[in-house]
Amino acid sequence: MSLAQALLPSFALGLIAVNEWWVSVGSPPPIPDGPQPPAVEKWWAPIDAPLESPTAPGLMFSGQRRDFLGLVARGAALELITVGFYRFWLATDIRRHLWTNTQVDGDAAEYTGRGKELLVGFLFALAIMVPIYVGYFLIGIEVERLKALASITLFVFFYVFGQFAIYRARRYRLTRTVWRGVRFWMDGSGWAYAARSSLWTVLTILTLGLTLPWRAAALERYKMRHCHYGELQGGFDGRGWEFFKRGWWLWLLVGCLLFGPPSFNDILRLADRPPLPKSVIDAIPFYYIVVSLAVPFIYAVFKSIEWRWWIAGLHFGQVRFTSTLQYGALAGLYWKVIGWLLLSGMMFAAYLFVGAWSIATIGKLSMASLVSGGLRGNVAMILVAATGYLMFILAMNVVLRIYLMRDLWARIAASTRIHNIAAADNVASRGDLASALGEGFADSLDVVGF
Amino acid sequence: METDPSEATSAAPSPPRGVYFDGMSSKRRVVALTLSDTLQIIEDGEMLAGWAYADIRRADSPPGLLRLSCLTAPALARLEVRDPQLGSDIVARCGQLEENLPNRRGVAAIVGWSLAAAVSIVLVVLFGVPLAADRLTPLVPDSFERRLGDVADAQVKVIFNAKRCDDAAGQAAFEKLVGALRESAGLDNSVQSGVLATPIPNAFALPGGKVYLFDGLLAKAENPDEIAGVLAHELGHLRHRDSMRELIHNGGTSFLIGLLFGDITGSGALVFTSRTLVTSSYSRDAETNADTFAIETMHRLGRPAKPMGDLIFRVTGKEGGHGLSIVSSHPLTEDRLARMSKADGAITGAPLLSPAEWQALKGICGSGKI
Repeated sequence: MSLAQALLPSFALGLIAVNEWWVSVGSPPPIPDGPQPPAVEKWWAPIDAPLESPTAPGLMFSGQRRDFLGLVARGAALELITVGFYRFWLATDIRRHLWTNTQVDGDAAEYTGRGKELLVGFLFALAIMVPIYVGYFLIGIEVERLKALASITLFVFFYVFGQFAIYRARRYRLTRTVWRGVRFWMDGSGWAYAARSSLWTVLTILTLGLTLPWRAAALERYKMRHCHYGELQGGFDGRGWEFFKRGWWLWLLVGCLLFGPPSFNDILRLADRPPLPKSVIDAIPFYYIVVSLAVPFIYAVFKSIEWRWWIAGLHFGQVRFTSTLQYGALAGLYWKVIGWLLLSGMMFAAYLFVGAWSIATIGKLSMASLVSGGLRGNVAMILVAATGYLMFILAMNVVLRIYLMRDLWARIAASTRIHNIAAADNVASRGDLASALGEGFADSLDVVGF
Repeated sequence: METDPSEATSAAPSPPRGVYFDGMSSKRRVVALTLSDTLQIIEDGEMLAGWAYADIRRADSPPGLLRLSCLTAPALARLEVRDPQLGSDIVARCGQLEENLPNRRGVAAIVGWSLAAAVSIVLVVLFGVPLAADRLTPLVPDSFERRLGDVADAQVKVIFNAKRCDDAAGQAAFEKLVGALRESAGLDNSVQSGVLATPIPNAFALPGGKVYLFDGLLAKAENPDEIAGVLAHELGHLRHRDSMRELIHNGGTSFLIGLLFGDITGSGALVFTSRTLVTSSYSRDAETNADTFAIETMHRLGRPAKPMGDLIFRVTGKEGGHGLSIVSSHPLTEDRLARMSKADGAITGAPLLSPAEWQALKGICGSGKI
């Protein structure tokens, strides 16, 4: 199992919670293009403070980094003790922290979901998934009888089901999001969304990613027009074309970096020119190492473009948003994660070495037998390695949650401006709570999204 | 505080104030609070709500803000108080303020129940799943097992990129050998078997009664008894329906261990490791039983079982000395060899194959191919 695989779920989990930022969009300083909100009395304001500071950010994340660190570190320890069962309560606590510390137009949001709901949702999802897995197994046998290894194509079903789970999980989180005593809610069909998402994915794969912006726009349109804050209907009017215009050069850049040098040789051959010297060919692996250093930068720029485009496309009724997120705003976060990953990886390796050495010394094994795999299958070594691996994963979870959930969210929040917040001053409440079943599906399928 | 003219005129000593959301709309109301027998929420002299102290609960809030809800009010009605003095006055009056929020006792309960769940899952994996596999296996219809076998058959041929060897003389010798073993073992003639042209020294049984011998093992064998022992061992797996049992056992174990670790996000490797430990101990038992079966079958034919041990030893070499091999799916080769040597008595039966037949079997995949 690769490290990337090991880290992916938590990484993506981070993105979920942070991406839930729409709950907490807040008011900007009074902006020129919208009507000014009526002066609201802030009764707690110091006597001589201005009522509405013109520079006060409308969307403010006030959470202390220290508090969040304590929360996720303690959560990681509890996850270890409870062999993973604590994850439902940890996810809830993380959301509670992020939500309540996000102030929109001076009022903090609130997350009303509870860990027990997630646990129940997970158990229900499990009860539904077991017959599905058995059916999958039986159908798989019949397909395999027709052609060996053909059942791999059945994973398509789980992809579609995963998209359904993502939609329903979002619905759960949205209905637990409260601001000014009114909850957000969501209608629409999870299956309709899953069908749209899957067809767009096929198209995006066929076009090598070129239609990604249109996929994002179409899916956001569907999701957002089914999102509501009380009786205010949400919507999304960002165009795929705008996203494409801002990001096409990244697509081209990645293509050139990946396929440029190797195909250069083919071009020479087609043009009947002498091929590249062997020393250049030999250098290609090094070239890819250098290119891989550019990946975090490219990804960070892509995400910043996507966030900006997305925020500018959102609206709830007349309330609109803009973002001033810079291209380089997120790169630092990804590099910090990579730095910590390398550091913890080295510590893990050192720990394994010390562990192997101690076991060999105690067991009076020679160094030579150690090198030739003398500890393979050794129970003590398995325990040492498993403990170390667990520690490594837990440490990485803490790192990912701090940088890619909290810090990312703080940066997005700070960059977001709200326009015409007065339209949300007197919104009647509507909408019912949704069950956590969708979160349960998402958990048992290991899919994430928002 | 003195900034709102309408509030400033409402009462002589300005009453303590808060912000109230009635849970029906997002309207933000600056209200006066009176702490009498209930917590009275008053806007412009009009009482909006009176909350009984026993019904008031704390809701999540950022630091420096006391946010309250009330059981008898609309679920999302919120009262926010920023003044620390007023806040502590209200807190002092509300006996069950913290009841709805997760707390330390709740965490202790989660830890306790999780450990209980973990212990129960481990017990089920160690004792319940093997029992279920033993009980369920006889209930699985043969037709279903044969379907599984067809699937496994096709996959094996793809994975090992192998085709069946069909040299006529070799095939005749092979069928004679399998036939003798089958009769001695008391299996009916639904057993199918064949030799696959692949250099890997191995043999295995598939669900639904298929036994495959790899040419690589034939090449390493020095006499018919060695091959006969291995085939008898595989027939033992068929007889015990070990493939089916293992399928149920592995499926159940994977599911339960996956449930246990859920995702400490990325604990996949741990799930795999612990599952390997559990299933290989189970598989070692199955292998030991198949060895017993092979020894009995060979002795019934009056032939020794030790040659099979010799062949395995030739393939794997000595396995011990690497610490405890609890992740290994088979018993240690030297232990198996010792057991077979000990069990053998005098050789009373005729050789299973003539030297000519043995040579034909060795060449079943075309001589010199390996």
